[in-house]
Amino acid sequence: MSFSAVIYFLVLILTFYCTENHLAEVAFLSKYKCSCPVRFCNIFCSLSLSFLEYIVVFNGYFTAKARSDFISSALRDVDAVNWRIVRRDNPASDYPSDFEVVEIRQDTRSSLLTLQDHPYIKRVTPQRMVLRSLKLTDRNDTRWVQKWQSWQSSRPLRRTSLSLGSGFWHATGRHSSRRLLRAIPRHVAQILQADVLWQMGHTGSGVKVAVFDTGLSEKHPHFKNVKERTNWTNEKTLDDGLGHGTFVAGVIASMRECQGFAPDSELHIFRVFTNNQVSYTSWFLDAFNYAILKKIDVLNLSIGGPDFMDHPFVDKVWELTANKVIMVSAIGNDGPLYGTLNNPADQMDVIGVGGIDFEDNIARFSSRGMTTWELPGGYGRVKPDIVTYGSGVRGSGLKEGCRSLSGTSVASPVVAGAVTLLASTVLNRELVNPASMKQALIASARRLPGVNMFEQGHGKLDLLRAYQILNSYKPQASLSPSYIDLTECPYMWPYCSQPIYYGGMPAIVNVTILNGMGVTGRIVDKPIWQPYLPQNGDYVDVAVSYSPVLWPWAGYLAVSVSVAKKAASWEGIAQGHVMVTVASPAENDVSNTGEMTSTVKLPVKVKIVPTPPRSKRILWDQYHNLRYPPGYFPRDNLRMKNDPLDWNGDHIHTNFRDMYQHLRSMGYFVEVLGAPITCFDASQYGTLLMVDSEEEYFPEEITKLKRDIDNGLSLIIFSDWYNTSVMRKVKFYDENTRQWWMPDTGGANVPALNDLIAVWGMAFSDGLYEGDFTMADHDMYYASGCSIARFPEDGIVIAQTLKDQGLEVLKQETAVVENVPVLGLYQTPSDGGGRIALYGDSNCIDDSHRQKDCFWLLDALLQYTSYSMTPPSLTHSKNRVVPPTGTDRPLPQRLEGNHLYRYSKVLEAHLGDPKPRPLPACPHLSWAKPQPLNETAPSNLWKHQKLLSVDMDKVVLPNVRLYRPQVRPLSPGESGAWDIPGGIMPGRYNQEVGQTIPMFAFLGAMVVLSFFVVQLTKAKSKPKRRKPRVKRPLYLQQQQQQTPHSGKNPTV
Amino acid sequence: MVFRRLLRKRWVLGVVFGLSLIYFLSSTLKQEERTIRDRTLLEVRDSDHHIQWKIKFILGNSSRQISQCRNSIQGKSLLTDELGYVCERKDLLVNGCCNVNAPSSSQHVCTSCLANGCCSIYEYCVSCCLQPDKQPLLEHFLNRAAEGFQNLFTAVEDHFELCLAKCRTSSQSVQHENTYRNPQAKYCYGESPPELLPI
Repeated sequence: MSFSAVIYFLVLILTFYCTENHLAEVAFLSKYKCSCPVRFCNIFCSLSLSFLEYIVVFNGYFTAKARSDFISSALRDVDAVNWRIVRRDNPASDYPSDFEVVEIRQDTRSSLLTLQDHPYIKRVTPQRMVLRSLKLTDRNDTRWVQKWQSWQSSRPLRRTSLSLGSGFWHATGRHSSRRLLRAIPRHVAQILQADVLWQMGHTGSGVKVAVFDTGLSEKHPHFKNVKERTNWTNEKTLDDGLGHGTFVAGVIASMRECQGFAPDSELHIFRVFTNNQVSYTSWFLDAFNYAILKKIDVLNLSIGGPDFMDHPFVDKVWELTANKVIMVSAIGNDGPLYGTLNNPADQMDVIGVGGIDFEDNIARFSSRGMTTWELPGGYGRVKPDIVTYGSGVRGSGLKEGCRSLSGTSVASPVVAGAVTLLASTVLNRELVNPASMKQALIASARRLPGVNMFEQGHGKLDLLRAYQILNSYKPQASLSPSYIDLTECPYMWPYCSQPIYYGGMPAIVNVTILNGMGVTGRIVDKPIWQPYLPQNGDYVDVAVSYSPVLWPWAGYLAVSVSVAKKAASWEGIAQGHVMVTVASPAENDVSNTGEMTSTVKLPVKVKIVPTPPRSKRILWDQYHNLRYPPGYFPRDNLRMKNDPLDWNGDHIHTNFRDMYQHLRSMGYFVEVLGAPITCFDASQYGTLLMVDSEEEYFPEEITKLKRDIDNGLSLIIFSDWYNTSVMRKVKFYDENTRQWWMPDTGGANVPALNDLIAVWGMAFSDGLYEGDFTMADHDMYYASGCSIARFPEDGIVIAQTLKDQGLEVLKQETAVVENVPVLGLYQTPSDGGGRIALYGDSNCIDDSHRQKDCFWLLDALLQYTSYSMTPPSLTHSKNRVVPPTGTDRPLPQRLEGNHLYRYSKVLEAHLGDPKPRPLPACPHLSWAKPQPLNETAPSNLWKHQKLLSVDMDKVVLPNVRLYRPQVRPLSPGESGAWDIPGGIMPGRYNQEVGQTIPMFAFLGAMVVLSFFVVQLTKAKSKPKRRKPRVKRPLYLQQQQQQTPHSGKNPTV
Repeated sequence: MVFRRLLRKRWVLGVVFGLSLIYFLSSTLKQEERTIRDRTLLEVRDSDHHIQWKIKFILGNSSRQISQCRNSIQGKSLLTDELGYVCERKDLLVNGCCNVNAPSSSQHVCTSCLANGCCSIYEYCVSCCLQPDKQPLLEHFLNRAAEGFQNLFTAVEDHFELCLAKCRTSSQSVQHENTYRNPQAKYCYGESPPELLPI
């Protein structure tokens, strides 16, 4: 009887163990049920035979050459066959394949038969073309809306975690369902072929990765090597409450289900972001110090914010990379607007990552545009550095399982994981540093077609090529971008959108020097400009400025290109190169020669055209545009409460990009003035365009502009709102800096503008208006603009009926005001004098928050200012009113106690009111002395400019065919197959940590059991000894009677 | 009575024993895991406790010979080695030590440091902090370091690491989060934060 009890116990344990597993499975399935494609029926497929194309399937995987050999040998016997192999240009074409698409034009039947006879050919089937039509609403739009909804809860000026808002996180069904049919759904690590490196035994071991995020729970089943968790926030927990940190850590190092890149890496979890999405610079400072002390190798920061002038933070990031921490950061989720890059991803020493979807389109949310640190005098750097999958990527869920997320905060850990894995492949770890890793990533990246460099950087991450480059890497310097081809469209947009000409503002290209030789470096002597004489290089003047010290690991090299006087009426292409030698102290060199040097060439190719006529040339005033950071410069559209700051740079290549494109398409040449108005030759330009200016004006500028306009320069001003009561109203308490923020100007600095245009008897008012109206048959929207208060009586003024937004903001009342003067046109009286056009709102030409554009108005105004053609639709408008004299209302005064002088280039603090500084000297470029070469440039500058002395073929990948991920088309119902653990990873990773404990318990139970069995056998051999112990045999009998009822004792 | 009877059954006792064994085994396993991760829980547990610092100060004899030096790695042009020598990068020897004979090298210098223990150049801050007579100051600081620094200073191993860590800018160095209290002298080895300058 006892023996059977033992068996029962054993069965019990086994069942328990099994049910547990079974339960887990059920949980799995139910999880998938919820992410099953509900909208799946919305996608229709239609199949049609693609004419003359056949899929030839082979018996095994063969290289492209072998496949073509087989086909040609098979078809050799068929006479006069006209056939060709259809090229498939995709990343998979580098690897062996088991099929080929062949186009056969003649004698199809017989050639098909002969093809099928070939021993290596399995079958031949006609190619079918699959057409899919989507009945979904445009997913981009939904994404966009959701994104803005998510923003409302958090203020954008502080650092935010860069994944799309929580509302979006849960909407996985829509995205996964859509992708299920179109792309082969695999994990991002496998799509990037991390499994090839895993098979070679590289799994990230020995690399310390820090994840700065929302924490990680203690016993997450996906992680096996969490070395340490630390909390730097004011919340007393180490666990993740949002799922953001868990997801990010999972993409880097998850070992099961949705596998990460480097499961064996040492994870250091830094909790720097609270569940309420709050974080402070001071938390980061302390946490970064700890990361330096712990000698972290790779640090992922999926967090960013617009404040690149947070000096303690920026300095700390430099310090971090200077201590050899490879920092990877997300570029931001503020796309598709330009000028939206986030810090710290926009720093030269950081790897800034943008997002793409699985169809290789730049994700709509991915921030883009040049960096805006260098404005107004210089030009921005190229960022992001690289892009990778950031839309619908699968990673670890908060407690267990996987989830899909989108955002650049997803793309960043993809690169961080790849970097970790790459670092673990390098034998000599000394060679891995922030610069060499970045060099390898950008040199290996695959460029996406049709996307410019300010959106995609150097292209899409290619893990295996980066591996090859890194493993044959020799310390050197390199440039980003590696060449300047101002004719290459669309990659080199905006440079390629406008040729250069004599007399124009020089085109500035801000190149980043990456120095893999050491944390500090310097440029030896001076960069040399070497024009190619056969290619008209002498028609170009080049000036170069550069960082005096390249620290940490990087520096800038600003190349200004201008046209020589002798090419004033010449048209053509000119080429040359700039040669730079970088030197670094040799630290680990035993011979100790003192310095290592590396010389890089920067090819330059420009298109020159004859100088366009004055009327075609527009000068954009950048100098007087101020922005956040450093100060609080409020949004130009007060309706956009969730985005209170004007932070996109206000440049023609950032948030005025559409306007620039429009002006280019109308044949205008637009140049940028990054210096005071005193610094340009007005006789060269038709129109000076001042949009949304926040800066004050030097007295010298005011007099010079008056003189210029008397001499024929025209002026267009797009102003914006300025009302001191509203400015006081829109102040707010900033939790991030723990102080009150009071705007220093309105949307524009109207009092300063009024000083500028007072000489012509013009002024803007402090009214604040909003509303829709129609002007010259165009629908217009006036988004928080001012009105014209004074205008000369012989000018043309157009008025509209608008709502008083000032009243709405201050008292929540609505009032309609009739005849608000919004537009004014004026011809100055002097002989040959220029014209002036004023408009009260800049929002309709600004890309950020624009609802209706008014490029037609800009065209009309330019027609007026450049060609003196008064647009009849405006002059004969019924809305034309008598110009206001403005005597009834005082003009707006500057907000009392404003701190504009802190951020202004014009004002300086003074006892009493701030006073203008002395006028600074105009920037002067010293042109490099050319050293002409009698040389011809290579035809393809891009291919020519890869990393030096890197022989890609030297590092051989293992036979990829063996370890090739199993690509197979998935049918929609198969979605659950994604998460079967251990599909690709080597066996040992399939051992789950969570399973070891039950295993131990089971083993323990077995030990107990065997002990028992031994006891039992002992007891059986001595049955006599037991009998006397039984004192009440009656009970025993009872029990024996009961046993049949239990039905589990076979002995009875 | 049946229950008591049942309890005496050997197999019942066996089951009880087995379950206890299982519990024992699994909890031991958990315990082991906990000791590995103890550090992570440290700062959550005791907030009003002193930091258990374990720094070994090496006193006086700083002219001792060592074959390999750690140094401050990050400097733009200057470096400090663990003996307290500050030198230019070009005067750094292969073993990581400053070349003592180079004209730029000097030991325990407090150039650019103010009376309150704040310096404008990081490397000089470290060098100054490595002076043997700064030890009581550092010990005093460690004994009453703020909570936020526990993570950092419990992980520090010796005098050199302490000085490297102490001289870095930290949460103590900022006002309004995004500005330095004193942008000129922001690296402090002393106890007090940098002097607060108005923005």
